[in-house]
Amino acid sequence: MSKNSKGIEVAEIISDKCIACQICIGECPVGAIELSDEGVAHVDPEVCVGCGKCFEVCPVEAVLFEKKKRKKISKSQRGAHALKGVSYEGVAVFIEVANGSAAPVSFELIGKAKELALKRKCRVIGFVLGNNVEKIADDAVFYGCDDVHMVSHPEMGTYLSRPYGKILANLCKEVCPEIFLIGATHLGRDLAGVVATRLGAGLTADCTGLDIEEETGLLLMTRPTFGGNIMATIFCEHRRPQMSTVRPRVMKLPAKDLFRKGNIFRHEFTPIEDPLAQVVGFISDVKTSGEKDITEYPALVTAGKGACDISAFPMLQELAELLGGTLACTRPVVESGLMPYERQVGQTGKTVAPKLYVAVGVSGAIQHFVAIQGAEKIVAINSDENAPIFQVADVGIVGDYQKIIPALIKQLKEKM
Amino acid sequence: MHIICCLKQVPDTAQVKIDPETNTLVRAGIESILNPFDLVAIEQAVRIKENHGGTITVITMGPPQASSILRQAISLGVDDVVLLSDRAFAGADTLATSYTLAMAIIKLGNNIPVDLVLCGKQAIDGDTAQTGPGIATRLKYTQLTYVSSIQWIDPENRKIQVERKVDGGVETVLGDLPALLTVELELAKPRRASLPSLIASLKAPVPIWDAKAIEAVETLVGIKGSPTWVRKISSPAPRQGGPKFRAGTDPDKAVAQCLEVLFSDSTFFSNFKLTGGRNSDVEKF
Repeated sequence: MSKNSKGIEVAEIISDKCIACQICIGECPVGAIELSDEGVAHVDPEVCVGCGKCFEVCPVEAVLFEKKKRKKISKSQRGAHALKGVSYEGVAVFIEVANGSAAPVSFELIGKAKELALKRKCRVIGFVLGNNVEKIADDAVFYGCDDVHMVSHPEMGTYLSRPYGKILANLCKEVCPEIFLIGATHLGRDLAGVVATRLGAGLTADCTGLDIEEETGLLLMTRPTFGGNIMATIFCEHRRPQMSTVRPRVMKLPAKDLFRKGNIFRHEFTPIEDPLAQVVGFISDVKTSGEKDITEYPALVTAGKGACDISAFPMLQELAELLGGTLACTRPVVESGLMPYERQVGQTGKTVAPKLYVAVGVSGAIQHFVAIQGAEKIVAINSDENAPIFQVADVGIVGDYQKIIPALIKQLKEKM
Repeated sequence: MHIICCLKQVPDTAQVKIDPETNTLVRAGIESILNPFDLVAIEQAVRIKENHGGTITVITMGPPQASSILRQAISLGVDDVVLLSDRAFAGADTLATSYTLAMAIIKLGNNIPVDLVLCGKQAIDGDTAQTGPGIATRLKYTQLTYVSSIQWIDPENRKIQVERKVDGGVETVLGDLPALLTVELELAKPRRASLPSLIASLKAPVPIWDAKAIEAVETLVGIKGSPTWVRKISSPAPRQGGPKFRAGTDPDKAVAQCLEVLFSDSTFFSNFKLTGGRNSDVEKF
């Protein structure tokens, strides 16, 4: 532990551990900490007064500091005004309605909510908004909701951020769940930010893991960050509900029990006074290209830069169909105009988690890998035996894909 | 038209890794860049200005180093920039960030009323996509996320019509100005800055606003205004590379070996069915 010229034992940042969250910078009472050009916190030893606040608030133990016995003060200040004596109970799930039926992710979240509710010894609550959604409210019970709160009205037939956000926030204020889960679909992500802002609640996006911390009863939300290279576990101590969005197909769909009983509460629809946006048109992906989203297939055959050749696509297509999947591609293939952006896998494209991922001529840059790490099996075919994709592939073939793919198709057919 | 773009300086996330031996972040030599989605927002703002006239102001919240992305924006054709920088802003999550940016936009609107706020659909370091909706909600602007195309803007009648990506398709939405848009990558292909504008941007002043300048309440910004907190970080479970086989002159053998490895995992293949190529959904190229 080093001392400065005034003889004060100062704090030091271990730069390898620092995640640049800047919490220490905000906490330091004398402004001794700055973010360096390397993007890590740095303590100016001559300004530091050795109070140790940075040590206490650092989430990743990146601060070297001697006095380890100080009590944590700042955590109680976090999130400003606290719970104000309202009692929050229950794990709530937003049941998203799309084209008259519930989005599968909503039922997946009910499964997770049941698990969390078991640990918290509380009820599973469903919020259903839409028009003629009575049947979906029943389904929510069959999948595991104990109480379903429903607003069913013709004006709720089309999703709009403002009315949905307002009505859902009001439902939360009335029902007071301590946890609130929303599917990380386009709609869910659009909505979650509105509801959290209205409630002043903490919201964590795209969680891949949710659990209850035994000692505190808090929700621990684990999510990939820095483009998936790091997993961060987030919690929210002083605001309720603890909100989280979760991507589709991350949680398991629970079994449907048609004999399960629950309470369904119908809430009045209160019209929004402000002028609203209008949805004046909708073009379905299915109509334009006759295809499902690539994320929905159990298998993907992905053409990378090394297979960016339109004459090879029929053969890749045949392989994909054989595997029950479809074609995808990397960014260079989209940039060359050979495949639409909808099929791009990668950091700026889609994140996929198929059972089988066949990468053809894909080098496997980290921008690509972060989007496929959820795949169950990765098969790589590449002529460069040093391509990084081989480091993450379960099995690989080094060579010319033009010769390998036909052999693969032939042998797969023989296996059927 | 007064257009505001909200930018974020992010680490080039592709380079951020965890050292497998020490389990710590490897940061050496990692560049900070302008969030790629925000670059599209700047481009779109410049195009709107070219069609309708007006002023573009870009703002970012961050440490003094973040002024580099503001200079980049100047080189691309924006008129004014503001850096929101204050120790009190540090440690902000999306709730506190949207508050801080909203307060700055309110202040900017006192001079010239704001018509449009453009944000990237998400930042590549956090990928949350929460700040845009947060700002729109606080300002009561029309919220249009995931915009892939702007069909028209009618500043006189205060209307905008856009195409936005939704689950399973693209919807066309008509809304009132002021509106906040979060933009997709395909909305506009960013231009390159010309050399004279690059040089000029280096000399341009970057005004800095602190919490007091935007009349922010102390308990709502930075760490104090942030309900969420990081408990720990870890490396995702690493994937182990499996065997690789050389095709050479005998691809059949390599393919056979490869399939043997795949089929040897019986739990995998019991859950996976070959369809035999009857897949009606697949589009033909």
